[in-house]
Amino acid sequence: MRTLATKLVVLIALVAVVFVPALERPAAAGKLSLWRLKTYIPPADKILDTNAQECAKKAGLELAVQTYTFDDMWTKFTAAIESKTLPDIAELDAVGPARLANLGRLADVSDVVAAATKELGPILPNADGAVKFGGKYYAVPHYAIPLVLFYRPDILAKVGAEPPDTWEDIQNVSEKVKKAGVQDFPNGFPWNRTGDGYDPAMSLLWSYGAAWVDKSGKFTGIPKAAGLEALKVVTRAYLADKTSAFDYLSWSGATNNEAFMAGKITFTPNGPSILFQEESTQHPLLKDTAIKVMPKGPAGRNLALTFVMNWAVPTDGKSQKEAKALIGCVMARENFVKYMTGSFRQMVPLFAKPLDDPYWNTPSGKIIVDTVKQGHPVGWPGPTTPAAAEVVSGNVLTDMITRVIVDKVAPEAAIDEANKRIKEIYDRLPVK
Amino acid sequence: MNVLTDRQRERLLGYALIAPVAIFLGGLVAYPFVSAIYLSLTEKIVGYPAHFVGLKNYGALLESGRFRIVAWNSAAFTVGSIVVKLVIGMTMALALHNVVRGNQFIRGILLLPWVIPTVVIALTWKWLMDLFRGLINVALIDVGAVRSGVHWLGDPTLAMASVITANVWRGFPFFGVSFLAAMQTVPQELYDAAAVDGAGSWEKFWRITLPSIKGVVAVVTLLSTIVTLNDFNIVYIMTRGGPGAATHIFATYSYELGIMSQRWGLAMAASMASLPLVALLIVGVVRYLHREEA
Repeated sequence: MRTLATKLVVLIALVAVVFVPALERPAAAGKLSLWRLKTYIPPADKILDTNAQECAKKAGLELAVQTYTFDDMWTKFTAAIESKTLPDIAELDAVGPARLANLGRLADVSDVVAAATKELGPILPNADGAVKFGGKYYAVPHYAIPLVLFYRPDILAKVGAEPPDTWEDIQNVSEKVKKAGVQDFPNGFPWNRTGDGYDPAMSLLWSYGAAWVDKSGKFTGIPKAAGLEALKVVTRAYLADKTSAFDYLSWSGATNNEAFMAGKITFTPNGPSILFQEESTQHPLLKDTAIKVMPKGPAGRNLALTFVMNWAVPTDGKSQKEAKALIGCVMARENFVKYMTGSFRQMVPLFAKPLDDPYWNTPSGKIIVDTVKQGHPVGWPGPTTPAAAEVVSGNVLTDMITRVIVDKVAPEAAIDEANKRIKEIYDRLPVK
Repeated sequence: MNVLTDRQRERLLGYALIAPVAIFLGGLVAYPFVSAIYLSLTEKIVGYPAHFVGLKNYGALLESGRFRIVAWNSAAFTVGSIVVKLVIGMTMALALHNVVRGNQFIRGILLLPWVIPTVVIALTWKWLMDLFRGLINVALIDVGAVRSGVHWLGDPTLAMASVITANVWRGFPFFGVSFLAAMQTVPQELYDAAAVDGAGSWEKFWRITLPSIKGVVAVVTLLSTIVTLNDFNIVYIMTRGGPGAATHIFATYSYELGIMSQRWGLAMAASMASLPLVALLIVGVVRYLHREEA
């Protein structure tokens, strides 16, 4: 019995010695792990993977790439944050750098940014707010997928309307389309729990002067008068003119693409992926699809840049030097331009030089670049903060909108509710 | 020298044999469960240490108007789904119980919804109920039943009915097959005797079938209640909790709090909110079954 017990103890000790350090140990030197977004443009993903693998090969590294979608990104990252198993290189969304840097889990990559600016020119000033905190860069902007206004020029011609430039124009044209019997619900703005909901929600509120923070990123609350004016845009569409269907509020990520390509709506906010889909399938609506910079409001055209991807080096990894070198290689001009020009205009750089590339010198290319140049980070007019991230990811803004149009709560009360929730978030996650 | 008696050795062997199961249950059931309860009593933000706050999260949820909507939706979703599954499952079992030819084939076909992955079911129903291109609306318009598409996933009431429909479609075979299996254990003599006494179909069902299978009905209903209360995929895929929060239920709300907002403590409290109800149900059913056995 005693012999058996001794053997068991020795066996357990051996297992512990062999496996426990292996479980805790991040990728060994010579091996790197990289997590990236799986985009709607598979050919671009392939180019990125090839670039990254070639960079790794040149550096004598073995690279393991894992992917996630916008839907499961935070599920994956949440588990990794808690178990301290973040990858060596992480492609983070617009709010990821603020969240992880605030946790002290990202390495300073100012040197990588400096090297990238030599290759690609300066970072766009509006991209800084999402990646630079306390004077240091914690992520390298990779690309932005700007939301543009998709519309149907043929339908506009039918009702004698010009392409809309303001939120009100969209509503006026939608009403004309409906009255002409062309479409029942032409206004495809979904104020739902996806990026197609909360990105335009920010653009709408900001364009009416209804930001919830000041320039330092501190809570001020959505100003009532401006907020009420912004809410009129959505109540008119959903409750008064009924140019939008309640079904849009239940759309998932790609449903507005499908509705647009099925010819059922005149307007929808979306990344350029509809163009990719229509071009690659030679879709019959391709000739009747046009894009425009998202609308402006009384306070200007204050667009949100929600779909921004950034390279970061989590401090969980022990190969930070190699990770930085690999990011530098992927962001080298030749590699980056190859990726950008293979992205069907979906991946827009946040550095100045590639934006001047002839690739963007097309009617739609110019609009896409223009949109990115005018975009603002989450939490504008302040920088992106963990609190601003939670306002967006907690759907506070779209909840405010749907409280009015679905639950029939008075707009004033909906703004009060939203401000109460936002204040609670900022009290809990104070801006440093 | 042998220091252990045979009895002690036997006892040790017993412990050794149940140890793997005990470790398995402890590690995979008890530990996560106790951790979840503990986390629900803490202010736990992802990446930060947890701070014990007692019942603060539960208090915050009770004060939250959004949580009250979610609780109401969860109750409507669960009760609506279970009642319909019970009725359809019972009908399916009764029908199959009396079918002689092709019984196996029909049973196989009716089991299909239960074996199809939930994601596929949710996507299929989402497509069927699409305002513009959904088969249901296209068919209704074609036969002239409606002029324009019905807002299955847009109208708050219809959206709840739609997610319940998808849940019922997936879950009714479990009820049907379980009830059928129970019905087949009821002795034929009871029905024969009842027929001699002049009992009709309804009386046979009410006085023989139902009392004979009520234990199975209780267990199946309990299990399905637990699964339905924790359902995530159907609602998340079909409506994302929309329109507004009209179909937001415990699971989607917990996901929003825990993963998207990174507030684990509050998310755990939201998940735990249904626990007392489920615990009461379990205790009730177990006591009922014990009483029946006695």
